[in-house]
Amino acid sequence: MQLDNVLTIFGMATATYLTRILGFIALRNRKLSPRAMAVLEAVPGCVLISVIAPAFVSPHPADLIALGITVVAALRLSMFSTVVVGVVSAGVLRHLLG
Amino acid sequence: MSEDAGMEAGTLAAELETAAVSTKSEFRRGLSDTLPVLLGVIPMALVLGAQAAQKGLTVAEVPLMTGCNFAGGSEFAAVKLWTSPPHLLLITAMTFLVNSRHLLMGAALAPFLKNLPKRKAFPALFFMTDESWALALADARKRAADGISQCFSLPYYAGTCVGMYLMWICFTTLGSLLGPIMGNAETYGFDMAFPAVFLVLLKGMWTGFYKARPWIVSLVVAGLTSLLVPGAWYVPAGAVSGIVAASLWAREDYDAAR
Repeated sequence: MQLDNVLTIFGMATATYLTRILGFIALRNRKLSPRAMAVLEAVPGCVLISVIAPAFVSPHPADLIALGITVVAALRLSMFSTVVVGVVSAGVLRHLLG
Repeated sequence: MSEDAGMEAGTLAAELETAAVSTKSEFRRGLSDTLPVLLGVIPMALVLGAQAAQKGLTVAEVPLMTGCNFAGGSEFAAVKLWTSPPHLLLITAMTFLVNSRHLLMGAALAPFLKNLPKRKAFPALFFMTDESWALALADARKRAADGISQCFSLPYYAGTCVGMYLMWICFTTLGSLLGPIMGNAETYGFDMAFPAVFLVLLKGMWTGFYKARPWIVSLVVAGLTSLLVPGAWYVPAGAVSGIVAASLWAREDYDAAR
């Protein structure tokens, strides 16, 4: 192992752990207003949908069609079936449409 | 008197036993809910390991990174920026930025972890990934709707974390060993597992269009940002604009009512 590599890895680990605890520490002992609670309730959805947003603006038709199929699957099926439908439809459509 | 105490001890023992059994079953429930998620995680882990090996990280350094840092997005970014020797400050700063969404995620968890002692809360937060966090929060909301007062289940969350952590480390290491013989995972469609998982979780959080308006703001802003700005900026841009929108709408709902 190289010292530079190990130090950089510890730098990353420290930065990441800080991101994980700081938001929690900031709100831990607060009594939140109903308004703040309503905002906090919206946070998970906003983060999740932002993470997958690039899939919605993909330049590849195959990806967009597969995403459409996956959205329909997500509304009707279990987690596992939805993942299988998503992966298979993306794989097949990319193969067919290039 | 002593008989009473004996009875009480008996009840207590029975209660502890039930608690132990339910801890075990809650842990297992978390682990099994994580299995479909792993279908997307494992190919990504293999790809990351392979890329890291290509940049000269050794088979020991790869699990050191993925085990100590344990945040996939930032590890892809770091490996992309890796040089020999690596630029410590640049990579550390990029890691913080890519993972800044954790600040919001930790804040959203805070009301649920309030009753947990610090010695449990801080280790639990070390393992907080998008997936475990989302699964545990969705589960907590479902339990709250079912009228369970302790709606956040720590053993359930631990089950999701253990599954994610072991698989991430094992398969990034394997990827660094297999590196050169692997192709591009995206050609097979495994990357669609992430949108699939998150769409199902979003459906679980859906409580009507009115409350989901901020999501649409996030989706539009994040989508546009990902098209216009290189890098992972679309996540904070989308998340923050959705939260600002939520805050403005909440002001209408609550402050106007006063």
